[in-house]
Amino acid sequence: MSWLKVAAFTLVLVGLFVWAGAALTDASGNIRHISPGEDVSVANGDAIFWGAGKCHTCHAVGPRGTSVRGPNLGDSPVGPPIGARAAERAAERTATLGRAVSATDYLVESLSDPSAYVVSGFKDEMPVIYEPPIALTPNQLRSVVLYLQSLGGSPAVDEIELPPAALQPSRGPSLPPGAALLEGDPDRGRELFFDAAGPAACGGCHRVADEGADIGPELTNVAGTRSAGFIAESILEPAATIAGGYETWVIETADGRILDGLILRSTADSLWIARSATDEIALAQDEVARRRELETSLMPDNFAETLSVRDLSDLLAFLRTLR
Amino acid sequence: MAFGPAVAAAQQADPLTHVDNVRTFFGLSPRIVVWIVVQLHLLFAAFVVGVPWFTVAVEIIGWRKGDVRYDRLAREFAKLFTATFATTAALGGLFTFTLFGLYPRFSNYFFGIFSPIMYVYGGIFLAETAILYLYYHAWDRLQERKGLHILLGLALIVVGTSIVFIGSSMSSYMMAPTGVDETGAFVGTTWEAFTNPLLIPVVIHRLLGNLTFGGFVVGAYAAVRFLTSKTAEDRAHYDWMGYVGNFVGLMGLIPLPFAGYYLGREVYSVSPVMGNNMMGGDFSWAFIIQAMLVGLLFILGNYYLWSGMRRIPGAERYQKYIKFYIVVLIACIAVWLTPRNLPLSATEELALGGQVHPLLGALGLMSTKNAVINLIILTTFLSFLLYRRANKTDLVPVSRQGMATKGMVMLAGLVSVAILGWYAWRLFTLDPADLDLTPDRVGYFRFTGLLLVIAMGAAVASVVLTLRDRGHLAQGLYFAVVTTEAVGVLGVFGFIVTTAANPFLRQLAAGQWLILMTGLILISAIDLALFRRAKNIGGIRWGDIAERSQYALIALCVIIIMTMGMMAYVRSGLREDWHIYGVMRDTSQWAYTPSIATMTRMVGGITVTFLAAISFLFWLTNLTGRRPPRESAGDGERS
Repeated sequence: MSWLKVAAFTLVLVGLFVWAGAALTDASGNIRHISPGEDVSVANGDAIFWGAGKCHTCHAVGPRGTSVRGPNLGDSPVGPPIGARAAERAAERTATLGRAVSATDYLVESLSDPSAYVVSGFKDEMPVIYEPPIALTPNQLRSVVLYLQSLGGSPAVDEIELPPAALQPSRGPSLPPGAALLEGDPDRGRELFFDAAGPAACGGCHRVADEGADIGPELTNVAGTRSAGFIAESILEPAATIAGGYETWVIETADGRILDGLILRSTADSLWIARSATDEIALAQDEVARRRELETSLMPDNFAETLSVRDLSDLLAFLRTLR
Repeated sequence: MAFGPAVAAAQQADPLTHVDNVRTFFGLSPRIVVWIVVQLHLLFAAFVVGVPWFTVAVEIIGWRKGDVRYDRLAREFAKLFTATFATTAALGGLFTFTLFGLYPRFSNYFFGIFSPIMYVYGGIFLAETAILYLYYHAWDRLQERKGLHILLGLALIVVGTSIVFIGSSMSSYMMAPTGVDETGAFVGTTWEAFTNPLLIPVVIHRLLGNLTFGGFVVGAYAAVRFLTSKTAEDRAHYDWMGYVGNFVGLMGLIPLPFAGYYLGREVYSVSPVMGNNMMGGDFSWAFIIQAMLVGLLFILGNYYLWSGMRRIPGAERYQKYIKFYIVVLIACIAVWLTPRNLPLSATEELALGGQVHPLLGALGLMSTKNAVINLIILTTFLSFLLYRRANKTDLVPVSRQGMATKGMVMLAGLVSVAILGWYAWRLFTLDPADLDLTPDRVGYFRFTGLLLVIAMGAAVASVVLTLRDRGHLAQGLYFAVVTTEAVGVLGVFGFIVTTAANPFLRQLAAGQWLILMTGLILISAIDLALFRRAKNIGGIRWGDIAERSQYALIALCVIIIMTMGMMAYVRSGLREDWHIYGVMRDTSQWAYTPSIATMTRMVGGITVTFLAAISFLFWLTNLTGRRPPRESAGDGERS
C-alpha cells in the first residue's frame, strides 16, 4: 500500500509540473520562430528589433521593453530617441575620426562595429549583428537601420551604406559542401513560379528582382539565407514559419464586416489590407473595431495536392538559384 | 501525394552547405530520441558521480569516530551507486550510438575535434569501473586496512570528477566553441576545445548539482524504505539515512544558486546574445518555473528539518521561531519568481499596464533576486543551527575548551578576513575602464569595498567575542552584519548600480556572495565551538518522525530530477538552432525551441522513467543483496 501511495504521490507531482508548463504556454503563447523577412522597411526593422535580431534583449525603446544592458533607444534619460540622438553622436564621431560621419553612418557603425563607440556607462559587449549567431542579412540590417532612423528621425534608405563585410554571406557551418544538387530543372521552375495560370503562381504574391508582387516576402536572395529544406517546408506548410510583417490579420469593422488579409501599411488615419496584389482595401482607422492576428498564413496550404513531385523539385531548383 | 523524398532530398543537398544530415528513428524526431537518451544517461551519471562524495565522507567519519554504524551506512550508499553503474554505462553507449546514427555529420565534425580526448575518456571509464567494483566488493576484506579502502573511495571520486570534466567540456564547447576561424573551420587544438570558457563554470555547477541530486535520491530511497519498514529498527535506520540524504542535498543546494549565477555570468561573457536569450528571451518563463522548483526544494528541505525536531528532546524550545522562517521563505520565493524581462505581446503589455508591474516590477530585478536568495540561504542555515542545538544545554565556555576548538574559530575568522580582504582589495584597485565605465564610477566600487572592510572588522570582533565566552553575541553580531550588507544594503545598492554602472553588477553580486559565505563559515565555526561538549537533554529518537516528512523527502527527489531536466533543456536550448553555437547550424526541420509545455511533458516523462528504472534497480539489489546488520534503534549519538 505504501508503494502505491508513493507512486501516486510522485505522479501527482509530475502531473502538476506538466500542468504548470501547459498553463504557462497557454498564457505566454507557444514559441513561434518567425524568420525575418527580406523587405527593406521600417516595419520589418521593427519586427527584427523585437524578434529575430534580439535587439530588445538589451535595449528598450522609451517605455517599450525593460532591458537595461544597453542604452534605451527611445526618449529616455540617455537622451532623445536614437533617430535624433544619432546626429549628436555623428558629430562626436566626425570630431574623433577626422572625417564626415552622418547620423546614418553612425547607426550603421553601431550595428556593424559596435565596439567603435560605446556609450558611457555601458559595457562593450554588443555583437556584430551580421555575424553569427544573429547573422542578419544585408536587407535585414538595412531594415533595422531604417527602424532606428524612424525613432525620432526620418527613415532614408538611400543614405544607408553597409560595410563590405556586412554584404558577405553569413558564415555557414564548416562542413564539406553539400553533395549532389537536388535534381530539378530551374528554368521550368522559373516558368512555374511566374505562370499566373499554373499550379504554383508564386509570382502573384512574391517578388524576385523586378518581377512579381509584394504580398509575400521578397525572394530575390532567398537561397542565400534559407536552406533548401526550409524553402520546401515553407511551400508545403506555409504556416510553419511566417516571415515577420507577413502575418494574417482578421479585422472587424465598426459596421460588423469581417475582413482578413495582410496589413500592407498603417497610418494614424488609415489602414490598408490585402488578400492578393489585386485585392487591396483601405479602411479609416476609426472604422476598425477590433483586429486579431491569425496563426495561419495567407499563402495557400494545399500545394501538396496541387503540385507534383516534379513541380516541387523544379521550383526548388529555381529558388536555389536565387542568391 | 508523397513529398517525403523531395523534402528529404532538399534537406540533404543544400548548396550553401547549410546542410544537416539527420536521420529519424523509425519516424520519430531524432531530437526527441537524443533528448530522452541523453537526459536519462545524465541522471544516472549524476547519481553514480555524486553519491561517492558523501559515501566516502561518511566512511571517513565512521573510521575516525570508530563507529561501525557510519561504515554500514556508507556501504549502503555504495551499494546503491554500484547497482546503477552498469545502466549508466549502457545509456552512455546508447547515447553515443544515437548521436552517430541520427546526427552523423555533426558527430563526425564534433568527435573529429574531441577524438584524442575520447581515448582518455575510455581509459578513465575503465579505471572507474575497476575502482568502483573494487571499492564496493573489497569492503569487508579491507576492514582492517581502512585507510587503503578510503583511498580507493577518493580515487573513485577523482575518476568520477574527471569524467564530469570530459563530458562537460563537450557540452560546454557546443555553447562556447574555441579554436574556430572566421569560416567556421576548426583550426585549434583539442586542448583548446577542452578548455573552452564555459568548462569550469559548467563543471562546478554539475558537481554541486550531482551532490544535491545524489543526496535527495538517497533521501527518497530511505523514505520509501522507512514507509515500507516493518520494524522499529528498520524505521530508525532509514530515518537516519533519510536525514543524511537531506543534509547532503541541502549542503549541495546552498551554494548552487551562486554556481548558477557564475555560470550565467560566464554565458553572458561568452555571448551576450545567448545570455540575454536566457534571462530575457525565450527562456525567461523557464526561469520562473525554476524559481518555483528551487523554492520548493528549500521549503521542503527546511520542512523536513523542522519535522525532524520532533524526535529531539529539548527542540520544543525553538519551535516558536519556525513560523517566522516560513514567512521569510515564502516571501523570498515570491520575490524570486517575480518576472521582469518576459517577452510580452502588445496585448499582454496592455493588459498588464506596461512591460512590468509599476510596483512589483522592481522585485524582478537581478539585485533583488540576489538579495532574496541570500536570505533564503541564511534562513535555511538558521534552521540547521536550530536543529543542531535542539537537544543541547549546559554549554562549556569556549575559554575552557582546548586549543583545537579555539584554533578552529580563529582559523575560520582568518579565512573570512582573507576572503573579504582579498575581494575588497580587488574592488579598491578595479579600473573602471576594465568594465567600460568612466573614472567617476569608481565610487560604486569603493562603497562595496568599504562594506567588505566593515564585514572584516565584524569578523575579527566576532572571533574575539567568542574567545571571551560571548559566542552567542558574536554569532548575532556577524549574522546581523552579513544580513544587513548582503541582503539589505547591497540589495538596494544594486538598484542604483543597475542604472548608473550596470557592468559592475556582477562584481557587486560576487561581493554579496562572499560576505554570505564568510557568514556561513564563521558562524558555523562559532556554533561548533559553543556547543562542543555541551550536555545532551536526551538522545535523538530516530524513527520517531511523521510519515508526511518522508513524503517531503520523496518530493525533494522528484523536484530535483525535474529541475535538472529543465535546466538541461535551457542549457541546450540556449544554442537555439546551432549545434555548435555560431559555427554549425542545425537546418533540419527539428531546429526549433520547444515550448515550455513540450519541455514539461518531456521532462515529466523522463522523470517517471528514471524513477521507475532506478526503483527497479534498487529493488533488484535488495532482492539479491544481504542487508547489512544494524544496531538497535533509538540511539542518540548519530547526528
